[in-house]
Amino acid sequence: MPTANTEEENSKSELQKNHGGGGGFTRWAVVAVIFRLALIYFPGNLNLSSRPEVSTPLTSIRRLAEGYWLKQSSMSPYAGSMYHGSPLLLSVLGPLTVKSLVFVLADLISSILIRATGRKLQIAYRKSLKSLNLLNKSTDSGALSSGDIAALVYLWNPFTIVACVGLSTSPVENLFTILTLYGAATGLAPLAAFGWVMATHLSLYPAILIIPVILLLGYGPDAPPSKLFRSKEHGKVGDGKSSQEIIFSWRRVFHLLVWTSLWSVYVLVLCSISVKQHGSLQEMFQRTYGFILTVEDLSPNIGVLWYFFAEVFDFFRDFFLIVFHSNILFMILPLAIRLKHRPCFLAFVYIAISSMLKSYPSVGDSALYLGLLGLFLDELADMQFSFFLFCGYVGVSLLSPVMHNLWIWRGTGNANFYYATAMAYACFQIVLVVESVSSMLNHDRKLTKLSTSKLQK
Amino acid sequence: MRSKLPDAASSRKMAASSAVVAILASIWLCSSIAADASGSSSETTMHTNNWAVLVCTSRFWFNYRHMANTLSLYRTVKRLGIPDERIILMLADDMACNSRNKYPAQVFNNENHWLNLYGDNVEVDYRGYEVTVENFLRVLTGRHESAVPRSKRLLSDEGSHILLYMTGHGGDEFLKFQDSEELQSHDLADAVKQMKEKHRFKELLIMVDTCQAATLFNQLHSPGVLAIASSMKGENSYSHHLDSDVGVSVVDRFTFYTLAFFERLNMYDNASLSRLFNSYDPNLLMSNAYYRTDLYQPNLQEVPVTNFFGSVMETVHTDSAYRAFPQKNTPRETRIRTGNTAEDDSRRSILTDMTKAECPFTRIVSSLESKMETVGNLDSLVNYGLVMILPVLVVSVWLST
Repeated sequence: MPTANTEEENSKSELQKNHGGGGGFTRWAVVAVIFRLALIYFPGNLNLSSRPEVSTPLTSIRRLAEGYWLKQSSMSPYAGSMYHGSPLLLSVLGPLTVKSLVFVLADLISSILIRATGRKLQIAYRKSLKSLNLLNKSTDSGALSSGDIAALVYLWNPFTIVACVGLSTSPVENLFTILTLYGAATGLAPLAAFGWVMATHLSLYPAILIIPVILLLGYGPDAPPSKLFRSKEHGKVGDGKSSQEIIFSWRRVFHLLVWTSLWSVYVLVLCSISVKQHGSLQEMFQRTYGFILTVEDLSPNIGVLWYFFAEVFDFFRDFFLIVFHSNILFMILPLAIRLKHRPCFLAFVYIAISSMLKSYPSVGDSALYLGLLGLFLDELADMQFSFFLFCGYVGVSLLSPVMHNLWIWRGTGNANFYYATAMAYACFQIVLVVESVSSMLNHDRKLTKLSTSKLQK
Repeated sequence: MRSKLPDAASSRKMAASSAVVAILASIWLCSSIAADASGSSSETTMHTNNWAVLVCTSRFWFNYRHMANTLSLYRTVKRLGIPDERIILMLADDMACNSRNKYPAQVFNNENHWLNLYGDNVEVDYRGYEVTVENFLRVLTGRHESAVPRSKRLLSDEGSHILLYMTGHGGDEFLKFQDSEELQSHDLADAVKQMKEKHRFKELLIMVDTCQAATLFNQLHSPGVLAIASSMKGENSYSHHLDSDVGVSVVDRFTFYTLAFFERLNMYDNASLSRLFNSYDPNLLMSNAYYRTDLYQPNLQEVPVTNFFGSVMETVHTDSAYRAFPQKNTPRETRIRTGNTAEDDSRRSILTDMTKAECPFTRIVSSLESKMETVGNLDSLVNYGLVMILPVLVVSVWLST
């Protein structure tokens, strides 16, 4: 297929024209790392690791230190209900005295991976547009490609910086999620499997990403709906161009499943060795996944579950736990059906929904999906309410700590003040998800219209 | 037919008699078991907490010394460890803030005014007109109305040691409450018997400082009760000295010498009850202190005073935190283990022979576990495993491209 090769080479050369953008990315990335290091070694005490927005019972570094101390004192790290994370994270992060550098490194690697994923997505986008004969100079992006923009948004997002400097374990969880997406986008099943297994092991919610990962490995990166290619095939009769039929690659999915099971067995064996002395694997599951699912800790955070579960009667508690968790689960199937041709975007929507509705959200989770939002800038250029959402996010992130202070420290406010900002934050996230999905679907409709109009010409 | 009837009758008679014997035997067995249970229950229940019920029954300013007696004992009991939640203090009148008190909000038990008994944290549970015989008996038996708060209830259980101290004016088989009613020895004995039935105490020490106090114990029959009184029938209990500044007698002799005994003690002394009871000198008391031990099993020389007057608990130190019940049998276990090592070895070899017959999977798992135990440091194994992830990942990625 010589024509396909030249197409790929053309797109690659176009991207290399943006190599100046690559230099720009490197510069900004280095500055971001230096900024984080400056904040970490700031002489004053920023006290970020005790803020509820940054450290939740799952991501708090103090709880990790407590779990490590318990392990060193020959007790199970889960004794006393302080630590609720993975025992492997204890072995890695526990002994380190410079934990902060690990998180800076995690952020840097995440941004590099986002950039690489963005590059892959952009190549696929150009290829699909070219096959539909819709590619023109105006679709050429500016100095920075969407991957670079997404990576820089992730690095310079105040949420990410605060999560990194506040020493929460969210950067590590985000790294594994992004590694999953990168592995799936580049077709490396072992890498995607490893990222998925580790992300699910650390925090339960990335388990739903198995569906976009399977779709990414099966269909390839994001592309317009497949019916466009079939109609094009019907339109052009006697044309020598090869069909861009997208067939589902079962071989890759099989590889993915094999590697998933291998990695999960490996991780489970390591965990069981780690907890064997003073606990059991069942205790580990009960204290990590059970803690996440039963929402035992009701201390305030930026999510919407704590206030509700502080009020619900014990008789109905299980029922509402099921309701809240199935709130995420029910959205999986319809979104998968509607967005199966765009699995990377599907992953973004899943991550956004789970960051909003998970038991203990923090700003690190929001940082992840805000960074991934940048990957789809080409498609989401016509998103409505973008300025409203931006102002809303800024307003909520400024008001929420103020309300927390009024409630807890000054005593002139009450929980409703703080929960109001949490609800407003949830509203803005919902609007973001809805608008992004609708603008993506509008983009697909526009492509359909353009390609049918071109066919009719 | 005829031969059958006697057989049937005789067999029926035998069945009836065997049934009767069986019923009698079962009744005897049950009663013996019940008796064993009730008899051994007081020996097998552990002493878990200490309570004190301190009652002053007299009103009026000239009975200052009774108030001072009770408050002195309150202070002693608190000093030796019983907290306010487990002290019921009943004071029939308010001497500290009495308009005739030259030293407002201060109660002394000695003319040197060295100790202010009405200090910063006196908690009086029943005051003034609430100190009645009815309330006293309600406290002892626990039969309160539902509105009575917990701080006014004696919430003891079958592991409690209770100190009951009463002072005021008394006589032959009675004690005067509030100058208007009496508590008789029958009433006290009934209340104690009810307490015993309801398992509200393990051991009870009754200490009474009134005239002819020993007669108050005449009707007591419940086991586990120890009683000491300041004077016997026909004798008066006298006050110790008059404080010319306050204007009244400030302490009674019996309580004064009791306090003199306790002031020399702290929480960690194990002075015995017999030492306390033998410390009362009839010449100094001007009466004969009488104590009754026939209802009390343990030897007085082995019972420390802090069993009743203080609250000294045995703490068991464990190294394992966050576990509900400490291992009580470990010392015995270790002793047994060190004694029979040869038998253990032989038993262990039998067990290993038995495991060879198990399925290979469990054999593999158990051999892995034993090998892991011999590794020593599991953490290094986990770290090794974590480090191995990276090359495995790189190799797998390289293989799949």
